[in-house]
Amino acid sequence: MKSFGTLYKNELKLNIRNMNMAIFAIIMPLVVLIILGFIYGTKPAADGVVYTFLEQSIGALCTISICASGLMGLPLVVSEYRERKVLKRFQVTPVSPVKLLLVEFSIYILYCLVSLITLILTSMLIWNVRITGSLLAFLGSWILTMVSTLSIGMMVGGVAKNSKSASVIACLLYFPMLIFSGATLPIEVMPMTMQKIVSVFPLTQGIQLMKTTFLGLPTGNIWFPIVTMVAVTVVCISVAVKFFKWE
Amino acid sequence: MQTVINVEQLSKSYGNLLAIDKISLSVKRGTVFGLLGANGAGKSTTIECILGTKTADSGRVTVLGCNPKRDRKNLFQNVGVQFQECDYQPEIKVSELCEETACLYKNPSDWKGLCTKFGIGDKIQNAVKSLSGGERQRLFIVLALIPNPQLVFLDELTTGLDAKARRDVWKILSDLKSKGLTIFLTSHFMDEVETLCDEICILKQGRIVFQGTVEQAKTASGYNRFEDAYLAISGEEVCGE
Repeated sequence: MKSFGTLYKNELKLNIRNMNMAIFAIIMPLVVLIILGFIYGTKPAADGVVYTFLEQSIGALCTISICASGLMGLPLVVSEYRERKVLKRFQVTPVSPVKLLLVEFSIYILYCLVSLITLILTSMLIWNVRITGSLLAFLGSWILTMVSTLSIGMMVGGVAKNSKSASVIACLLYFPMLIFSGATLPIEVMPMTMQKIVSVFPLTQGIQLMKTTFLGLPTGNIWFPIVTMVAVTVVCISVAVKFFKWE
Repeated sequence: MQTVINVEQLSKSYGNLLAIDKISLSVKRGTVFGLLGANGAGKSTTIECILGTKTADSGRVTVLGCNPKRDRKNLFQNVGVQFQECDYQPEIKVSELCEETACLYKNPSDWKGLCTKFGIGDKIQNAVKSLSGGERQRLFIVLALIPNPQLVFLDELTTGLDAKARRDVWKILSDLKSKGLTIFLTSHFMDEVETLCDEICILKQGRIVFQGTVEQAKTASGYNRFEDAYLAISGEEVCGE
């Protein structure tokens, strides 16, 4: 596992040097939080509810970094390495493709984690946000959302022909998910039919689950989102590993 | 002497184009084998089929007794490769690229020492993309030697190097050979081939047109200079000669 550590360290350095992810996955969600914070402050989310608008939005804000990592960062880095023949150089070494994918996968987990921590700390310190639900359940939903979204990205990076098509697929996934899954627009304001359509996105399920667990709201059917996200993860990771191409 | 690479009847085509046609060759331990031929003669395809990075249409390949596709992880513990179109992560530094390569092997050699030996010891903190063509070429030879390999593949090893650097690389490779390293190389420099190679194989349009030593090539073609002999055998004589 020494090689995992060395690869992780060096690939992380390269990733940070590139700055894209620091901006999209860490700074951007923080900026959105600060804007929302200045607008809503500690106001309740609606008349007659005990939780604030910010408390209701934390789950969705966390998914900005998840989307940036899973639907932009990860697929682009994998397909770029393939196109630049970096993977081909790895092909003539003893490293396994699973290890390489896992290294990149874990780098994006770190970005999501840093974003989660900065969001929660900032909102707690400035706007007095409190987790009224269960921290453990919230973290569980966060992990599930993140892993399922990252695995979609890994699959796209694994099967896309080149970085251009990976970037097109990534955009096709990234923007609709970001806009319609409730990460930016609250799902409640959408028409009913649309809510039904977007509910098949794993991200939508994830956001709802994170919101309920963060606020401690009565959880309706929690098995549907969990099963959806686990299924997406299993399918995407299997496809990514099975159809992995060095070149 | 032990056979390190054994290739039998290897063929590969891209669509209608037959890139290599029934190639058979074998390389013995501790020798330098040169694969020669014009651009497009099938050298890189042959190397890639031997390494298993391309799948041959037919034929059999064993490298160090392994099937390169099936035993990839074991085989590449002992094999170093320098590709012609080698690439690296944008923004990566020399030290990071070396460290990342070294960590993949059980018994890597000291990459800092190798860099110094190849004259890029003072560049290890530089970005790979800031190196000159010759420095980068030497770095990729270093990367191929990091595994402490028994066998090394060098595709156009001294392209882009100046005269002095070429001599230095030859010296280092000769030393490594005397310690038992087997070298499989391709080159367009016939002085290099003459100095380094124990055995050569000349390809023409995907077929082997000569196999033997440099001296045998001269005798067979009737030329005293090896470069003339090579051009005659590979059918690329300059018009008017």
